[in-house]
Amino acid sequence: METVVPQPVFTLFGLTINQTVVSTWVMMAIIIIIAILIRKFKPALGEMIIELINSIVHSVMPEEIKVSKYISILGTMAIFLLFANIFGIFPQMLSPTANINTTIALSVIVFFSVHVIGIIEKGFLRYFKDLASPIFIFPLEIVSQFSRTLSLSLRLFGNILSTDLIVAIVFSLIPFIAPLPLAALGMLTGVLQAYIFLTLASLYIASGVEIQETEKERKALKQALK
Amino acid sequence: MWQLDPETIITIITILGAIIGIVLGAVIPAIMEGMAVKKALDGIAKQPDAANDLRTTLLISMALLESTAIYVLLVILVILFANPLLDRFF
Repeated sequence: METVVPQPVFTLFGLTINQTVVSTWVMMAIIIIIAILIRKFKPALGEMIIELINSIVHSVMPEEIKVSKYISILGTMAIFLLFANIFGIFPQMLSPTANINTTIALSVIVFFSVHVIGIIEKGFLRYFKDLASPIFIFPLEIVSQFSRTLSLSLRLFGNILSTDLIVAIVFSLIPFIAPLPLAALGMLTGVLQAYIFLTLASLYIASGVEIQETEKERKALKQALK
Repeated sequence: MWQLDPETIITIITILGAIIGIVLGAVIPAIMEGMAVKKALDGIAKQPDAANDLRTTLLISMALLESTAIYVLLVILVILFANPLLDRFF
């Protein structure tokens, strides 16, 4: 169990620095170097990646919403998760997302961005009126907001920690070839979980931004078009 | 005669609870995911043009169904390796 609980690495001005924090710093350095290299030598590859994220977000959100305003926050989290989930494949390293603090931080970011983007787009009163359209839905909406955030973080944490733990246990039993298929399964799970996180985060933002017409407004629109 | 102090009783109940919990938590989501795959394969066989849409929906749904199985695994890991009721860990 010692390999999957984050160990303190060194202390810095009285704060103990964890293995997770060091992994995050190494991963940030790798992402920045890869981004600089792609921009200098092959800009078409960067365009392809942004097109991929764009198409994933477009397939989830309804057509009226302009997606390009939210691509920056969603794409950043997607690229971070893509590299962070497969980081456990390096020997003796823990993924940054195998610590529950990282995943809770990401899902709290999604929670606040849903409400802030909804209030910016629709105005303060309209947003809360849409949350409570039939008035008895309002407590259910509050509960579902919290449970969605919690389930987003726990799903990511549980998947990544379980695959890292299995690889560590099998590595301590048979160090030679047996951990390899499990590490490959861990990489597949990591990429899939990054895709799931991106899809769910864009779905929550879309549900916060879309304008729900009430029955009165729909009838008024039909009258006006006649 | 047996001398069972509370520590041993809690350990025994923890082990039994962990085994029952992980067996149920692994079998029931697996059966349900199999039923979802069965319906998705029926859909692909009837309309091969919609295979891409079906595959995307299937993948997302299975990852969401898996999440409750992961919750069971997390609780079992906590009570086996970091049980707050035992003196070994606190």
